[in-house]
Amino acid sequence: MSQKKEYPELPRKKLGPGWWLGNRHYTVYMVRELTSFFVAVFCILYIYQVVVLASAPGSYSQYLDLLRNPVMIGFSVVALGFTLFHAFTWFFLIGKVQPLKFWGWTSTPVQSLIINTVLLVAISLVIIDLFFMGR
Amino acid sequence: MARYRPEKGPKQYWQEYKVPYRRDTVVLDALNQVKAEQDGTLAYRWSCRMGVCGSCGANINGVPRLTCETFLHDFKGQELVIEPLANFPVVKDLVVNFEDFMEKLVRVKPWIIRERESPVEEGEYKQSAAELERYSQYSSCINCMLCYAACPVYGLNEEWLGPAATALAYRYIEDSRDQGKKVRFPIVHDMKGIWECTLVGECSVVCPKGVDPMLAIQKTKILGAMEAPKSILNPQTLKAILPRGGQ
Repeated sequence: MSQKKEYPELPRKKLGPGWWLGNRHYTVYMVRELTSFFVAVFCILYIYQVVVLASAPGSYSQYLDLLRNPVMIGFSVVALGFTLFHAFTWFFLIGKVQPLKFWGWTSTPVQSLIINTVLLVAISLVIIDLFFMGR
Repeated sequence: MARYRPEKGPKQYWQEYKVPYRRDTVVLDALNQVKAEQDGTLAYRWSCRMGVCGSCGANINGVPRLTCETFLHDFKGQELVIEPLANFPVVKDLVVNFEDFMEKLVRVKPWIIRERESPVEEGEYKQSAAELERYSQYSSCINCMLCYAACPVYGLNEEWLGPAATALAYRYIEDSRDQGKKVRFPIVHDMKGIWECTLVGECSVVCPKGVDPMLAIQKTKILGAMEAPKSILNPQTLKAILPRGGQ
């Protein structure tokens, strides 16, 4: 398919490590991807908490003392912010990729974001009620 | 403007031009003015001048656009930086080499595949308006390559099938007259296929025809995920993977 070229072509430019800083959409995408790191660390801490809870009672109270540390509180606040950003940007994308369809009505990405957020809050409230309010 | 004249030297360089403009002057008019009045050595592609042929794409201030649809008036008071479309080898000035895409385009078999061709006497393959609606927007692709220039995944990995080729594959997968799903699925679900896409979404932002390649790619992923259990439960697959031949 390729023919011998009389003059050399300029090879395609390789993207440098800062490629995502030159365009707002790329930056939002990269921030969304980076927030998954905090989501992952938070999940690991949460799983560890469950493991500690299942072990001796003393170790769980030690773990709770660790969570009261200002550094851990700061991390939790940052992780919560990033997790919500991650969730909301994904809810918006889900609305683009798989819009809801009922009786001829098709949801927009913003409507999907709102519906998913309402569902998230409702499910969270049910879980809180089931596990914490019954005590 | 980024210039590359291989007959003069191996490096790209910058050259500045000043052009008069009116409210209805587009970048392509400016390029034509430069070529006719200032510098006849300038090389660029164009044909229809109305956003149909897809041949006049260039990176304008870092964003891939059709030069025939980009008005100078929208950049009033600014300098325009015009470069060849990113992510492609440059042949000369704004002319880039699309060979890689042409090879990928053929790979997805962008035509209707039938298990058995019906004789003409049996009439046309009929299709309802709802069936047409499922793929209609993906037929509008003009192969302008703006989506490839905007895709950082393609910029990082040339092997990636890319937005336009995948959108076209999806266009035929969703076409009710087509029976080539079994042929195209292994191509689009290959390691260099749709799973490379990380949902940046810039392909859909820059498309001048309102095609949404990102949506096509994600829908192809969903179709693949739906097909996977069926292929695993296929008797032939079970026979191959289960001990004692699936008995």
